[in-house]
Amino acid sequence: MTDADTCGSHHCITCGDDGVPMSVVLVDEARGLALCEGDDGARASVEIALVGAIAPADVLLVHAGTALTVLEHVA
Amino acid sequence: MKFVDEFRDAEIGRAVAMEILAMVEPGRHYKLMEVCGGHTHSIYKYGIDDLLPANVELVHGPGCPVCVIPMGRVDDGIAVAHNDGVIFTCFGDMMRVPGSNGSLLDAKAAGADIRMVYSPLDALRIAKQNPDREVVFFAIGFETTAPSTALTLKRARAENVANFSVMCSHVTIVPPLKALLESPDLRLDGFIGPGHVSTVVGGRPFQFIPADYGKPVVIAGFEPLDILQAIAMILRQLSDGRCEVENQYKRVVPYEGNLRALEVMAEVFELRPHFEWRGLGFISHSGLKLSDAYADLDAEVRFSVPGVRVADPKACQCGEVLKGVIKPWECKVFGTACTPERPIGTCMVSSEGACAAYYNFGRFAREREVV
Repeated sequence: MTDADTCGSHHCITCGDDGVPMSVVLVDEARGLALCEGDDGARASVEIALVGAIAPADVLLVHAGTALTVLEHVA
Repeated sequence: MKFVDEFRDAEIGRAVAMEILAMVEPGRHYKLMEVCGGHTHSIYKYGIDDLLPANVELVHGPGCPVCVIPMGRVDDGIAVAHNDGVIFTCFGDMMRVPGSNGSLLDAKAAGADIRMVYSPLDALRIAKQNPDREVVFFAIGFETTAPSTALTLKRARAENVANFSVMCSHVTIVPPLKALLESPDLRLDGFIGPGHVSTVVGGRPFQFIPADYGKPVVIAGFEPLDILQAIAMILRQLSDGRCEVENQYKRVVPYEGNLRALEVMAEVFELRPHFEWRGLGFISHSGLKLSDAYADLDAEVRFSVPGVRVADPKACQCGEVLKGVIKPWECKVFGTACTPERPIGTCMVSSEGACAAYYNFGRFAREREVV
Protein backbone atom coordinates (compact mmCIF):
# COMPACT_ATOMS: atom_id res chain seq x y z
CA MET A 1 0.00 0.00 0.00
CA THR A 2 1.39 3.40 -0.92
CA ASP A 3 1.45 6.57 1.11
CA ALA A 4 -1.31 7.94 -1.11
CA ASP A 5 -3.54 5.04 -0.07
CA THR A 6 -2.90 5.38 3.63
CA CYS A 7 -2.44 9.14 3.94
CA GLY A 8 1.20 8.32 4.76
CA SER A 9 2.87 8.93 8.05
CA HIS A 10 1.98 12.61 7.92
CA HIS A 11 -1.03 14.26 9.41
CA CYS A 12 -4.19 12.75 7.94
CA ILE A 13 -6.56 15.46 6.79
CA THR A 14 -9.55 13.19 6.52
CA CYS A 15 -9.46 10.96 9.57
CA GLY A 16 -8.20 13.78 11.70
CA ASP A 17 -10.10 16.39 13.57
CA ASP A 18 -8.56 19.42 11.94
CA GLY A 19 -9.12 21.28 8.72
CA VAL A 20 -6.78 22.73 6.12
CA PRO A 21 -6.83 26.17 4.47
CA MET A 22 -7.75 26.04 0.75
CA SER A 23 -8.17 28.84 -1.78
CA VAL A 24 -11.31 29.07 -3.90
CA VAL A 25 -10.67 28.65 -7.63
CA LEU A 26 -14.22 28.41 -8.98
CA VAL A 27 -17.66 28.59 -7.40
CA ASP A 28 -20.57 26.49 -8.70
CA GLU A 29 -23.45 28.01 -6.79
CA ALA A 30 -26.09 25.90 -8.56
CA ARG A 31 -24.52 22.69 -7.23
CA GLY A 32 -23.38 24.17 -3.91
CA LEU A 33 -19.77 23.29 -4.63
CA ALA A 34 -16.47 25.11 -5.08
CA LEU A 35 -13.28 23.96 -6.72
CA CYS A 36 -10.56 24.68 -4.18
CA GLU A 37 -6.78 24.42 -4.17
CA GLY A 38 -4.54 23.59 -1.23
CA ASP A 39 -1.09 24.92 -0.47
CA ASP A 40 0.41 21.87 -2.21
CA GLY A 41 -1.53 22.58 -5.43
CA ALA A 42 -3.96 19.69 -4.94
CA ARG A 43 -7.50 20.54 -6.02
CA ALA A 44 -10.79 19.22 -4.69
CA SER A 45 -14.53 19.84 -4.93
CA VAL A 46 -15.72 21.30 -1.68
CA GLU A 47 -19.22 21.58 -0.18
CA ILE A 48 -19.97 25.24 0.53
CA ALA A 49 -23.40 24.94 2.17
CA LEU A 50 -22.07 25.87 5.62
CA VAL A 51 -20.44 29.16 4.62
CA GLY A 52 -21.95 32.35 3.23
CA ALA A 53 -21.21 33.93 -0.13
CA ILE A 54 -17.69 33.26 -1.36
CA ALA A 55 -15.66 34.26 -4.39
CA PRO A 56 -12.50 33.08 -6.14
CA ALA A 57 -9.32 33.65 -4.07
CA ASP A 58 -11.20 33.52 -0.76
CA VAL A 59 -9.54 31.18 1.74
CA LEU A 60 -11.69 28.47 3.35
CA LEU A 61 -11.06 26.09 6.22
CA VAL A 62 -11.87 22.71 4.68
CA HIS A 63 -12.38 19.41 6.47
CA ALA A 64 -13.45 16.14 4.83
CA GLY A 65 -14.56 17.95 1.68
CA THR A 66 -16.66 20.56 3.46
CA ALA A 67 -15.85 24.23 4.07
CA LEU A 68 -16.40 24.91 7.78
CA THR A 69 -15.64 28.62 7.75
CA VAL A 70 -14.18 31.42 5.65
CA LEU A 71 -10.70 32.30 6.85
CA GLU A 72 -10.33 35.30 4.56
CA HIS A 73 -12.49 37.17 2.11
CA VAL A 74 -10.07 38.50 -0.48
CA ALA A 75 -12.52 40.32 -2.75
CA MET B 1 1.41 30.34 3.77
CA LYS B 2 -0.88 32.83 5.41
CA PHE B 3 -2.51 31.60 8.66
CA VAL B 4 0.38 29.14 9.02
CA ASP B 5 3.80 30.80 8.78
CA GLU B 6 3.10 33.57 11.28
CA PHE B 7 2.10 30.96 13.86
CA ARG B 8 5.41 29.09 13.55
CA ASP B 9 7.71 31.99 14.46
CA ALA B 10 10.50 30.55 16.62
CA GLU B 11 11.41 33.83 18.32
CA ILE B 12 7.85 34.47 19.45
CA GLY B 13 7.62 30.83 20.51
CA ARG B 14 10.64 31.19 22.78
CA ALA B 15 9.14 34.37 24.26
CA VAL B 16 5.86 32.58 25.08
CA ALA B 17 7.84 29.66 26.54
CA MET B 18 9.65 32.14 28.82
CA GLU B 19 6.30 33.62 29.81
CA ILE B 20 5.10 30.12 30.73
CA LEU B 21 8.27 29.46 32.73
CA ALA B 22 7.73 32.66 34.69
CA MET B 23 4.14 31.75 35.52
CA VAL B 24 4.52 28.26 36.96
CA GLU B 25 4.82 27.88 40.72
CA PRO B 26 7.82 25.79 41.79
CA GLY B 27 6.69 22.63 43.54
CA ARG B 28 3.31 22.56 41.85
CA HIS B 29 2.64 19.96 39.16
CA TYR B 30 0.34 21.05 36.33
CA LYS B 31 -1.52 18.41 34.35
CA LEU B 32 -3.15 19.77 31.20
CA MET B 33 -5.11 17.66 28.72
CA GLU B 34 -5.08 18.43 25.02
CA VAL B 35 -8.42 17.00 24.00
CA CYS B 36 -7.80 16.80 20.29
CA GLY B 37 -5.53 14.35 18.49
CA GLY B 38 -4.55 17.12 16.09
CA HIS B 39 -2.99 18.95 19.03
CA THR B 40 -1.16 15.78 20.12
CA HIS B 41 0.30 15.48 16.65
CA SER B 42 1.43 19.13 16.58
CA ILE B 43 2.93 18.94 20.09
CA TYR B 44 5.27 16.14 19.08
CA LYS B 45 5.86 17.30 15.52
CA TYR B 46 7.11 20.66 16.78
CA GLY B 47 8.60 19.48 20.09
CA ILE B 48 6.37 21.81 22.08
CA ASP B 49 6.65 19.77 25.27
CA ASP B 50 10.43 20.32 25.20
CA LEU B 51 9.77 24.05 25.58
CA LEU B 52 7.72 23.54 28.75
CA PRO B 53 8.93 23.48 32.35
CA ALA B 54 9.29 19.98 33.79
CA ASN B 55 6.29 20.48 36.07
CA VAL B 56 3.90 21.17 33.18
CA GLU B 57 2.67 17.79 31.93
CA LEU B 58 0.57 17.35 28.82
CA VAL B 59 -1.93 14.50 28.92
CA HIS B 60 -3.33 13.26 25.64
CA GLY B 61 -7.10 13.12 25.43
CA PRO B 62 -9.63 11.01 23.56
CA GLY B 63 -10.01 13.32 20.54
CA CYS B 64 -8.54 11.09 17.86
CA PRO B 65 -11.48 9.88 15.76
CA VAL B 66 -9.83 6.63 14.73
CA CYS B 67 -8.44 5.77 18.17
CA VAL B 68 -11.82 5.64 19.87
CA ILE B 69 -13.40 3.14 17.45
CA PRO B 70 -13.79 -0.24 19.22
CA MET B 71 -12.84 -3.52 17.58
CA GLY B 72 -16.44 -4.67 17.34
CA ARG B 73 -17.30 -1.68 15.19
CA VAL B 74 -14.50 -2.58 12.76
CA ASP B 75 -15.90 -6.13 12.63
CA ASP B 76 -19.32 -4.66 11.84
CA GLY B 77 -17.83 -2.67 8.96
CA ILE B 78 -16.06 -5.73 7.57
CA ALA B 79 -19.29 -7.74 7.78
CA VAL B 80 -21.11 -5.09 5.72
CA ALA B 81 -18.22 -4.90 3.24
CA HIS B 82 -18.47 -8.64 2.59
CA ASN B 83 -22.05 -8.37 1.30
CA ASP B 84 -22.36 -9.19 -2.40
CA GLY B 85 -22.24 -6.12 -4.60
CA VAL B 86 -21.14 -3.73 -1.87
CA ILE B 87 -18.46 -1.09 -2.37
CA PHE B 88 -17.38 -0.12 1.14
CA THR B 89 -15.72 3.28 1.47
CA CYS B 90 -13.86 4.85 4.38
CA PHE B 91 -11.07 7.26 5.28
CA GLY B 92 -7.52 5.99 4.88
CA ASP B 93 -6.49 5.50 8.50
CA MET B 94 -9.69 3.60 9.25
CA MET B 95 -8.60 0.87 6.86
CA ARG B 96 -5.73 -0.12 9.16
CA VAL B 97 -7.63 -0.26 12.45
CA PRO B 98 -7.52 -3.85 13.71
CA GLY B 99 -10.75 -5.74 14.26
CA SER B 100 -10.93 -9.10 15.99
CA ASN B 101 -10.08 -10.88 12.75
CA GLY B 102 -8.05 -8.37 10.79
CA SER B 103 -8.58 -4.88 9.44
CA LEU B 104 -10.57 -3.49 6.55
CA LEU B 105 -7.29 -3.56 4.64
CA ASP B 106 -7.03 -7.30 5.30
CA ALA B 107 -10.63 -7.72 4.16
CA LYS B 108 -9.77 -5.81 0.98
CA ALA B 109 -6.83 -8.16 0.39
CA ALA B 110 -9.24 -11.07 0.86
CA GLY B 111 -11.43 -9.78 -1.94
CA ALA B 112 -13.90 -7.30 -0.47
CA ASP B 113 -14.32 -4.11 -2.53
CA ILE B 114 -13.12 -1.55 0.01
CA ARG B 115 -11.97 1.86 -1.19
CA MET B 116 -10.34 4.82 0.51
CA VAL B 117 -12.03 8.18 0.06
CA TYR B 118 -11.05 11.69 1.15
CA SER B 119 -14.60 12.81 1.82
CA PRO B 120 -18.14 11.45 1.95
CA LEU B 121 -18.73 13.41 -1.24
CA ASP B 122 -16.20 11.09 -2.94
CA ALA B 123 -18.21 8.09 -1.72
CA LEU B 124 -21.40 9.60 -3.17
CA ARG B 125 -19.60 10.12 -6.48
CA ILE B 126 -18.64 6.42 -6.50
CA ALA B 127 -22.29 5.54 -5.91
CA LYS B 128 -23.38 7.64 -8.87
CA GLN B 129 -20.72 6.03 -11.04
CA ASN B 130 -21.81 2.51 -9.99
CA PRO B 131 -25.63 2.50 -10.00
CA ASP B 132 -25.76 -1.31 -9.98
CA ARG B 133 -23.70 -1.54 -6.76
CA GLU B 134 -24.48 -0.64 -3.15
CA VAL B 135 -22.02 1.96 -1.88
CA VAL B 136 -21.59 2.30 1.89
CA PHE B 137 -19.64 5.11 3.57
CA PHE B 138 -18.18 4.27 6.99
CA ALA B 139 -18.56 7.62 8.75
CA ILE B 140 -16.25 8.32 11.69
CA GLY B 141 -15.21 11.48 13.46
CA PHE B 142 -16.36 14.13 15.89
CA GLU B 143 -18.49 17.21 15.22
CA THR B 144 -15.85 18.45 12.78
CA THR B 145 -16.62 15.65 10.34
CA ALA B 146 -20.28 14.95 11.08
CA PRO B 147 -21.60 18.00 9.13
CA SER B 148 -19.81 16.74 6.02
CA THR B 149 -21.59 13.38 6.30
CA ALA B 150 -24.91 15.14 6.98
CA LEU B 151 -24.57 17.35 3.90
CA THR B 152 -23.69 14.34 1.75
CA LEU B 153 -26.80 12.50 2.97
CA LYS B 154 -28.92 15.53 2.12
CA ARG B 155 -27.28 15.64 -1.32
CA ALA B 156 -27.92 11.89 -1.83
CA ARG B 157 -31.58 12.47 -0.97
CA ALA B 158 -31.87 15.51 -3.27
CA GLU B 159 -30.20 13.69 -6.17
CA ASN B 160 -32.10 10.41 -5.58
CA VAL B 161 -28.96 8.30 -5.21
CA ALA B 162 -30.71 5.22 -3.84
CA ASN B 163 -27.65 2.94 -3.83
CA PHE B 164 -25.79 5.07 -1.25
CA SER B 165 -25.91 4.53 2.50
CA VAL B 166 -23.93 5.51 5.59
CA MET B 167 -22.72 3.36 8.47
CA CYS B 168 -22.65 6.05 11.10
CA SER B 169 -19.97 5.90 13.80
CA HIS B 170 -19.80 9.62 14.48
CA VAL B 171 -19.22 10.58 18.10
CA THR B 172 -19.57 13.75 20.15
CA ILE B 173 -16.86 15.32 22.27
CA VAL B 174 -18.62 16.42 25.46
CA PRO B 175 -19.72 13.01 26.90
CA PRO B 176 -16.19 11.50 26.98
CA LEU B 177 -14.88 14.69 28.62
CA LYS B 178 -17.52 14.32 31.31
CA ALA B 179 -16.54 10.66 31.73
CA LEU B 180 -12.88 11.64 32.11
CA LEU B 181 -13.70 14.37 34.61
CA GLU B 182 -15.65 11.83 36.66
CA SER B 183 -12.80 9.31 36.47
CA PRO B 184 -10.99 8.75 39.77
CA ASP B 185 -7.84 7.78 37.80
CA LEU B 186 -7.16 11.24 36.56
CA ARG B 187 -6.59 14.65 38.11
CA LEU B 188 -6.42 17.42 35.55
CA ASP B 189 -5.78 21.14 36.00
CA GLY B 190 -7.10 22.37 32.67
CA PHE B 191 -7.97 21.61 29.07
CA ILE B 192 -6.66 22.71 25.69
CA GLY B 193 -10.00 22.72 23.85
CA PRO B 194 -10.45 21.22 20.38
CA GLY B 195 -10.03 23.87 17.69
CA HIS B 196 -12.01 22.61 14.77
CA VAL B 197 -14.73 20.77 16.69
CA SER B 198 -15.32 24.19 18.22
CA THR B 199 -15.61 25.75 14.75
CA VAL B 200 -18.82 23.72 14.53
CA VAL B 201 -20.11 23.58 18.13
CA GLY B 202 -18.64 26.86 19.42
CA GLY B 203 -17.49 27.47 22.98
CA ARG B 204 -20.77 27.06 24.85
CA PRO B 205 -20.73 23.21 25.13
CA PHE B 206 -17.52 23.44 27.18
CA GLN B 207 -18.94 25.80 29.79
CA PHE B 208 -19.77 22.87 32.08
CA ILE B 209 -16.05 22.26 32.64
CA PRO B 210 -15.39 25.51 34.54
CA ALA B 211 -18.96 25.70 35.89
CA ASP B 212 -19.26 22.14 37.25
CA TYR B 213 -15.65 21.04 37.67
CA GLY B 214 -13.77 24.29 38.24
CA LYS B 215 -11.23 23.73 35.44
CA PRO B 216 -10.13 26.22 32.79
CA VAL B 217 -10.59 25.51 29.07
CA VAL B 218 -8.78 27.34 26.29
CA ILE B 219 -9.88 26.54 22.73
CA ALA B 220 -6.73 26.47 20.61
CA GLY B 221 -5.51 26.32 17.02
CA PHE B 222 -3.06 23.75 15.75
CA GLU B 223 0.11 25.70 15.00
CA PRO B 224 2.92 25.72 17.58
CA LEU B 225 2.28 29.28 18.72
CA ASP B 226 -1.43 28.52 19.09
CA ILE B 227 -0.71 25.67 21.46
CA LEU B 228 1.96 27.51 23.44
CA GLN B 229 -0.29 30.52 23.83
CA ALA B 230 -3.19 28.30 24.95
CA ILE B 231 -0.97 26.73 27.62
CA ALA B 232 0.06 30.20 28.77
CA MET B 233 -3.62 31.27 28.93
CA ILE B 234 -4.54 28.21 31.04
CA LEU B 235 -1.64 28.85 33.41
CA ARG B 236 -2.65 32.52 33.63
CA GLN B 237 -6.19 31.48 34.64
CA LEU B 238 -4.79 29.14 37.29
CA SER B 239 -2.44 31.83 38.52
CA ASP B 240 -5.27 34.36 38.72
CA GLY B 241 -7.61 31.88 40.41
CA ARG B 242 -10.02 32.04 37.48
CA CYS B 243 -11.64 29.24 35.47
CA GLU B 244 -13.54 29.94 32.29
CA VAL B 245 -13.76 29.04 28.62
CA GLU B 246 -11.38 31.23 26.65
CA ASN B 247 -10.87 31.25 22.91
CA GLN B 248 -7.28 31.46 21.68
CA TYR B 249 -8.44 30.51 18.15
CA LYS B 250 -10.66 33.51 17.48
CA ARG B 251 -9.44 33.79 13.90
CA VAL B 252 -11.40 30.60 13.14
CA VAL B 253 -13.76 29.76 16.03
CA PRO B 254 -16.86 31.91 16.64
CA TYR B 255 -18.24 31.50 20.15
CA GLU B 256 -21.64 30.42 18.82
CA GLY B 257 -20.14 27.88 16.37
CA ASN B 258 -21.51 27.26 12.89
CA LEU B 259 -25.29 27.43 13.26
CA ARG B 260 -25.95 26.05 9.80
CA ALA B 261 -23.79 23.01 10.55
CA LEU B 262 -25.61 22.44 13.83
CA GLU B 263 -28.98 22.66 12.06
CA VAL B 264 -27.95 20.15 9.40
CA MET B 265 -26.63 17.75 12.04
CA ALA B 266 -29.85 18.05 14.06
CA GLU B 267 -31.88 17.23 10.95
CA VAL B 268 -29.87 14.21 9.83
CA PHE B 269 -28.63 12.66 13.09
CA GLU B 270 -29.96 11.71 16.48
CA LEU B 271 -28.13 10.58 19.59
CA ARG B 272 -27.75 6.87 20.25
CA PRO B 273 -28.74 5.84 23.79
CA HIS B 274 -25.14 4.72 24.27
CA PHE B 275 -22.04 4.06 22.18
CA GLU B 276 -18.94 2.03 22.91
CA TRP B 277 -15.61 3.88 22.99
CA ARG B 278 -12.30 2.15 22.76
CA GLY B 279 -10.85 1.97 26.26
CA LEU B 280 -13.60 4.10 27.78
CA GLY B 281 -16.46 1.59 27.50
CA PHE B 282 -20.07 2.55 26.84
CA ILE B 283 -20.86 6.25 27.24
CA SER B 284 -24.45 7.46 27.21
CA HIS B 285 -25.57 9.78 24.41
CA SER B 286 -22.08 9.97 22.94
CA GLY B 287 -22.67 8.54 19.47
CA LEU B 288 -24.77 9.60 16.50
CA LYS B 289 -27.07 7.56 14.30
CA LEU B 290 -29.18 8.58 11.34
CA SER B 291 -32.52 10.09 12.27
CA ASP B 292 -35.76 8.36 11.31
CA ALA B 293 -36.12 10.77 8.40
CA TYR B 294 -32.90 9.36 6.91
CA ALA B 295 -33.36 5.70 7.97
CA ASP B 296 -33.63 4.64 4.32
CA LEU B 297 -29.99 5.74 3.87
CA ASP B 298 -28.81 3.97 7.03
CA ALA B 299 -26.48 1.05 6.21
CA GLU B 300 -27.32 -0.52 9.57
CA VAL B 301 -30.96 -0.72 8.46
CA ARG B 302 -30.11 -1.83 4.94
CA PHE B 303 -27.63 -4.56 5.94
CA SER B 304 -27.29 -7.04 8.76
CA VAL B 305 -24.75 -5.80 11.31
CA PRO B 306 -23.43 -8.30 13.92
CA GLY B 307 -23.04 -5.67 16.66
CA VAL B 308 -20.94 -7.98 18.80
CA ARG B 309 -18.82 -6.42 21.53
CA VAL B 310 -15.19 -7.49 21.25
CA ALA B 311 -12.73 -7.08 24.12
CA ASP B 312 -9.48 -5.27 23.34
CA PRO B 313 -6.33 -7.44 23.12
CA LYS B 314 -4.96 -8.00 26.61
CA ALA B 315 -1.51 -6.70 25.75
CA CYS B 316 -2.93 -3.40 24.41
CA GLN B 317 -3.24 -0.48 26.83
CA CYS B 318 -4.94 2.00 24.50
CA GLY B 319 -7.63 2.51 27.11
CA GLU B 320 -5.14 3.77 29.69
CA VAL B 321 -3.44 5.92 27.05
CA LEU B 322 -6.78 7.42 25.95
CA LYS B 323 -7.61 8.21 29.56
CA GLY B 324 -4.17 9.76 30.04
CA VAL B 325 -3.36 7.31 32.84
CA ILE B 326 -0.15 6.10 31.20
CA LYS B 327 2.20 7.52 28.58
CA PRO B 328 2.38 5.58 25.31
CA TRP B 329 5.91 4.34 25.96
CA GLU B 330 4.72 2.80 29.24
CA CYS B 331 2.54 0.32 27.31
CA LYS B 332 4.18 -3.10 27.24
CA VAL B 333 3.85 -3.53 23.46
CA PHE B 334 4.68 0.06 22.42
CA GLY B 335 7.29 0.13 19.66
CA THR B 336 7.85 -3.61 19.78
CA ALA B 337 4.81 -5.73 18.95
CA CYS B 338 2.78 -2.58 18.24
CA THR B 339 4.11 -0.17 15.58
CA PRO B 340 2.43 2.06 12.98
CA GLU B 341 3.18 -0.61 10.36
CA ARG B 342 1.61 -3.39 12.48
CA PRO B 343 -0.65 -1.72 15.03
CA ILE B 344 -2.29 -3.75 17.78
CA GLY B 345 -4.14 -0.79 19.22
CA THR B 346 -5.93 2.10 17.56
CA CYS B 347 -3.69 4.77 19.14
CA MET B 348 -0.86 3.50 16.95
CA VAL B 349 -2.89 3.68 13.73
CA SER B 350 -3.69 7.30 13.06
CA SER B 351 -1.00 9.95 13.09
CA GLU B 352 -3.28 11.75 15.55
CA GLY B 353 -3.07 8.84 17.96
CA ALA B 354 -0.84 9.48 20.96
CA CYS B 355 1.16 6.27 20.43
CA ALA B 356 1.79 7.01 16.75
CA ALA B 357 2.77 10.61 17.58
CA TYR B 358 5.30 9.41 20.17
CA TYR B 359 6.62 6.71 17.85
CA ASN B 360 6.86 8.84 14.71
CA PHE B 361 8.63 11.69 16.48
CA GLY B 362 11.13 9.57 18.40
CA ARG B 363 9.63 9.44 21.90
CA PHE B 364 10.29 5.74 22.20
CA ALA B 365 10.89 4.94 25.86
CA ARG B 366 11.96 7.68 28.14
CA GLU B 367 10.90 10.46 30.35
CA ARG B 368 11.15 13.96 28.91
CA GLU B 369 14.69 15.20 29.10
CA VAL B 370 14.83 18.54 30.82
CA VAL B 371 17.51 20.84 29.49
